[in-house]
Amino acid sequence: MRRAIAGFLFLSLCTAIVLAGGEAPNAAPAATTPAAAPATPASGGATFTVDPAKSWVGFTAKQSGGDVDGRFDKFTAAIAFSDANLAASRFDVQIDTKSVNTQDDNRDSVLRDKDLFDSSKFPTAHFVTSAFTRKAAGQYEATGKLTIRDVTREVHLPFTFQTTQEGGKPVAWLKGGVGLNRLDYGVGQGDWKDTSVAENPVRVKFELRLLPK
Amino acid sequence: MQIRNTLSRWGVVSQTLHWLIVILIITQFVLAETEHDMPLGLAKFAILARHKSIGITILILAILRLLWRWMNPVPPLPDTLKPYERVLAHVSHFGLYFFLFAQPITGWILSSASNFPVSYFGWFTLPNLVAPDKHFAAIVHEVHEWLFNILVAFAVLHIAAALKHHFVLKDDVLRRMLPQVPKTPR
Repeated sequence: MRRAIAGFLFLSLCTAIVLAGGEAPNAAPAATTPAAAPATPASGGATFTVDPAKSWVGFTAKQSGGDVDGRFDKFTAAIAFSDANLAASRFDVQIDTKSVNTQDDNRDSVLRDKDLFDSSKFPTAHFVTSAFTRKAAGQYEATGKLTIRDVTREVHLPFTFQTTQEGGKPVAWLKGGVGLNRLDYGVGQGDWKDTSVAENPVRVKFELRLLPK
Repeated sequence: MQIRNTLSRWGVVSQTLHWLIVILIITQFVLAETEHDMPLGLAKFAILARHKSIGITILILAILRLLWRWMNPVPPLPDTLKPYERVLAHVSHFGLYFFLFAQPITGWILSSASNFPVSYFGWFTLPNLVAPDKHFAAIVHEVHEWLFNILVAFAVLHIAAALKHHFVLKDDVLRRMLPQVPKTPR
């Protein structure tokens, strides 16, 4: 019995150390691919590097009645997040609209064209948070500004944040998604204001595998 | 009006399925050619979606047609046919049935490989048959187009044979696939 209690205490201690390590505070923000990392978050939010191999930012749109999944192959995400310090937490995500990938070259070129993303004029979509609220254990909502083309709107983004161990290393998973109307952002000029082929509601979603810095 | 087939005539159901599918295949060709020449844009995607819905309709009708054929007597080929003509008739009929399945299915695979889920007139969406793959999609696109060319060759043979029966051999092979006209001797 005494050995069992000692074992339990030992395991609890190990878990506590691991969890603490998983959220070790750090200073600089993280960025995935090339582009420069945006503003440094205030100290207190744990900062992370995004693992580009296992992270993605994408969307589901409805085309002619069928769900089409697409992704943005290039994006950068500066993520500082701590459940214990939501005030200091911050997401700053920049998406290269030219990197849109729906697995079909024709459709991708239409998406990059002037009536939709107009990637040559508006190469980047940008999301930056201003506040976080805790909804339940591991569940949060970020309030932020989303800019697509030349339209900026406030967005409330629900997401989950979970720390775990993968291969003995602390890892955090940030997952979430939000429904938008593409026309609210001007993604649909000319013919594409019509919503019979590409419907107005689009679900933006993401999964980021975060490594503590 | 005879609903079911008899040994001397195709019934209403078989005839309706036959001619409906003919009309839909011609529609498919017109849509595909129209879409092919259009610039990339909303209208092109809209026509492609329609082409897919009609293709699935043909697949459903083809299944019904085979089931009906299986449950009904099939009017036999005329006794006057030479052995090689019988073979030709069977090959062309088998081929035409084959294309009624092969074209919609390769189209469905092509759609899946291009990450364009097939929606049936917006009512429901069919599951993807394969994972998205641009290289594979390009191959299936070629196959889909070539199958159509072969289908046309089979259809030309089929039509030529039907006309020969009607105008040269003067038998009832074409007439038994047409609505019965009163007073016309069978």
